[in-house]
Amino acid sequence: MAARRSRPRSRRSKAYREFVSEAEEILERMRSDLSDLADQRAADGDVDPELVNSLFRSAHSLKGLAGMFGLDGLSELAHHLEDILDGMRLGRVAMDSPAAGLVDEATALFASELGRLDDPKTPPEGSEEVAELIGRIDGAVREPAAQDDDLAGLDLDPALLRALTEYEEHRLRENMRRGRFIVLVEATFEILAFDEGLAELSEAVRESGEVLSTLPSPGAAPESQIRFGLLAASDLDADALRARIEFPHADVRPVWSPGATAPADRPGEPVATESAAAVAAPTAHEPTELESLKSISDTVRVDIRKLDELMNLVGELVIQRAAVASIARRLLDDPATTRAGMELDKTHKLLDRKIQELQAGVLEVRMVPLRQVFEKLSRVVRRLRRDLDKEVRLELRGADTELDKLIVEELVDPLMHIVRNAFDHAIEGAEERRAAGKPEEGTIRIEASQRGNHVLIEVADDGRGIDEEAVRVRAVQRGVLAEGETLSRRELLDLVFAPGFSTRDAVTETSGRGVGMDVVKNNLTALGGVVDLDSREGRGTTVTLTLPITLAIIQALVVGASDQRYAIPLNSVLETLLIDTSDIQRSEGREILNLRGEPLLLRRLDREFGLAESGQRKPHVVVIGLGDMRLGLVVDRLEGQQDTVIKPVQGPVQDVRGIAGATEMGDLGAVLVLDMAALVEDAYRRREAA
Amino acid sequence: MSAPGSDATLPDRDWESLARAAAAPANREDATLLREFLAFELGGDPYAVPVERVREIVRLRPVTPMPRVPEAVRGVISLRGEVIQVLDLRCRLGMPAADPNRRTRIIVMHGEDNRTAGLLVDAVTEVLRVSEDAIAPTAPGESDSVHALCSRGDEFVSLIDLEKVLDVGDES
Repeated sequence: MAARRSRPRSRRSKAYREFVSEAEEILERMRSDLSDLADQRAADGDVDPELVNSLFRSAHSLKGLAGMFGLDGLSELAHHLEDILDGMRLGRVAMDSPAAGLVDEATALFASELGRLDDPKTPPEGSEEVAELIGRIDGAVREPAAQDDDLAGLDLDPALLRALTEYEEHRLRENMRRGRFIVLVEATFEILAFDEGLAELSEAVRESGEVLSTLPSPGAAPESQIRFGLLAASDLDADALRARIEFPHADVRPVWSPGATAPADRPGEPVATESAAAVAAPTAHEPTELESLKSISDTVRVDIRKLDELMNLVGELVIQRAAVASIARRLLDDPATTRAGMELDKTHKLLDRKIQELQAGVLEVRMVPLRQVFEKLSRVVRRLRRDLDKEVRLELRGADTELDKLIVEELVDPLMHIVRNAFDHAIEGAEERRAAGKPEEGTIRIEASQRGNHVLIEVADDGRGIDEEAVRVRAVQRGVLAEGETLSRRELLDLVFAPGFSTRDAVTETSGRGVGMDVVKNNLTALGGVVDLDSREGRGTTVTLTLPITLAIIQALVVGASDQRYAIPLNSVLETLLIDTSDIQRSEGREILNLRGEPLLLRRLDREFGLAESGQRKPHVVVIGLGDMRLGLVVDRLEGQQDTVIKPVQGPVQDVRGIAGATEMGDLGAVLVLDMAALVEDAYRRREAA
Repeated sequence: MSAPGSDATLPDRDWESLARAAAAPANREDATLLREFLAFELGGDPYAVPVERVREIVRLRPVTPMPRVPEAVRGVISLRGEVIQVLDLRCRLGMPAADPNRRTRIIVMHGEDNRTAGLLVDAVTEVLRVSEDAIAPTAPGESDSVHALCSRGDEFVSLIDLEKVLDVGDES
């Protein structure tokens, strides 16, 4: 820590990076909202007001962020974006007006400007494009047209009417235009518990309509009590609503009925028993602005690196705990200190439980649902559908499955790749599908589920499947396979993952798969995951990704080879065996073990790493299973299991094959963690070469 | 981290504070003309590295050997939760290996992108303040790892070219 160099605060500073990542997150949300908005408008033209509110809040956040960093141009752009959205949510700007059309454009420009900030030549006031778009927005957003005073027909104290915010007033008009009943629900609450009571009442009203505003009620209330009024819109009239909300002390009175002073463009009279769908639509939770602000301040954004630091600390606690356990054992063993030993042992057990809870808590904070990734994939498919003019349905299941944030980030690209592949190559054109007796619309199904310490993600399509013969021919052409050599179906399919095997050429068209699958595999391997592929010709292909839930803490098996120790992630260990060297058989230049009738390929860890060989007669075999591959790793000693935090090895030599990182084990110092995926793969590759 | 009493795993406090003091911005007027180097010994000869590249100096501690790396990489040490490769500078400069003793130190260098590295040296001696004009480049072809000399009294100190020394190539 002696002489850390200070760096100038610049656009590359940590704070700046945080700004970019936060802004990107907001933009991502906006893109998602905008695409939902477009879908809703295309579907029935009825737009969920909360969607526009959400966009408005996003633009507002962007404005603040950009302003904080002195990016005046971007801040101004976000400000104008906010103006349009404000107009839209208040009904001043129509959804189909030219101004509304600029929202997409402004969002996209903000994103591209953000990407250009790294260029030091970018002036803080932004590029000319920004100024140009700002000008256009100014031109498009007109002054609001004066509203006719159509609220005069409301049976409501004018003072209350004046207390409504512009937004509330807009929602009131909007609901009247749609022909809903406007009612005032009043109730008296004990001051001490009014917030709960009010929340309950609002909830009940919301089930049958929309709460437009919460107003202090003019009615006098006895001391220690307080009276509120909820101005609400509903498809039910006052009597029906009173019966529906079942709130004993609530008084519901009509304020305005659709028949009364009908706004011009209203269709037929709605009745209390309108269709369930119509009731369901507006009940979609409509938080008041107060509530939505609250939900924002309830969450804390945390840099994942801070969580890593916390995780490290927990890891160190785990190591200290082991030291306490060994002291307790020593005390227990000595008759003179047995009592103290027992007490320490008890304390240790309590400490152990608390540390486990702490560990689980920190891990949980790192977990995020796959939903975000799924949303990105839906957008990709939507775009592909448009660009390629192909009918493909995307089915998503298990969006709530949680994974470590870091893994989720790294998962986006490989999944995107697999889905694109399925879309581009696997799913046939409409005519080909009809000829094959399949529905014209293709299906890509993505399903995530948790299995113990792993998460499984399956991407299945009902496309043409992989033409195994084409793969075989191609493999022979490329010299990967000898003419006449026979392979199992599985081995043949695995060739699709061979590096450079499947570049964009003829085979990808006919095989329906394979562009860059080696890249997908490498990405997955880097995360400690495995990718498997299964395919039925003419029926479809399923790609299965198996991922650890977290990279942070793993259970490891500590083994000894020669005079060294290594840690093996326990999730790849199937079993361990004690064997005699005479059990080892040789076959085609490699060592194998007969394991319950199946040949198990063996590698000796000391030879693998060029260590002095101990020549032990009774070594242990750690049976590793990764996807479908099995490997027996021969080691001299098994030294027990440990919770470990894998850390990167810092230094001049990076990416040492077979080493995934290192972990700290108290008195043992640093212990290297084996990269089993690499070791198993190398063993198989050498077998193929042999 | 360490059990009480095993001071071998504690950082070398004296050198750490010395290095920190040396690296603190000097407010004297001639500060711009002075450069500071951490001097150390290898095989009896004086060498030095720029002080601003030094993160800390620690005593020798158990080094876990690493497979599949060039010989000069002795292995890894664990340092307050980080795992750092240690480069044997004797080996790197083509000198015969020496048994570690009480004076043996690991100089931990700053590095970006997981490239923090430790240099194993015979002993750390002092922080040198050298004026810019007392530094002279070595004759070309003399040594890959030393790119300049500076004078200390009547002897010369070899300045290590860290970029070259830390570039040990990939797995062997």
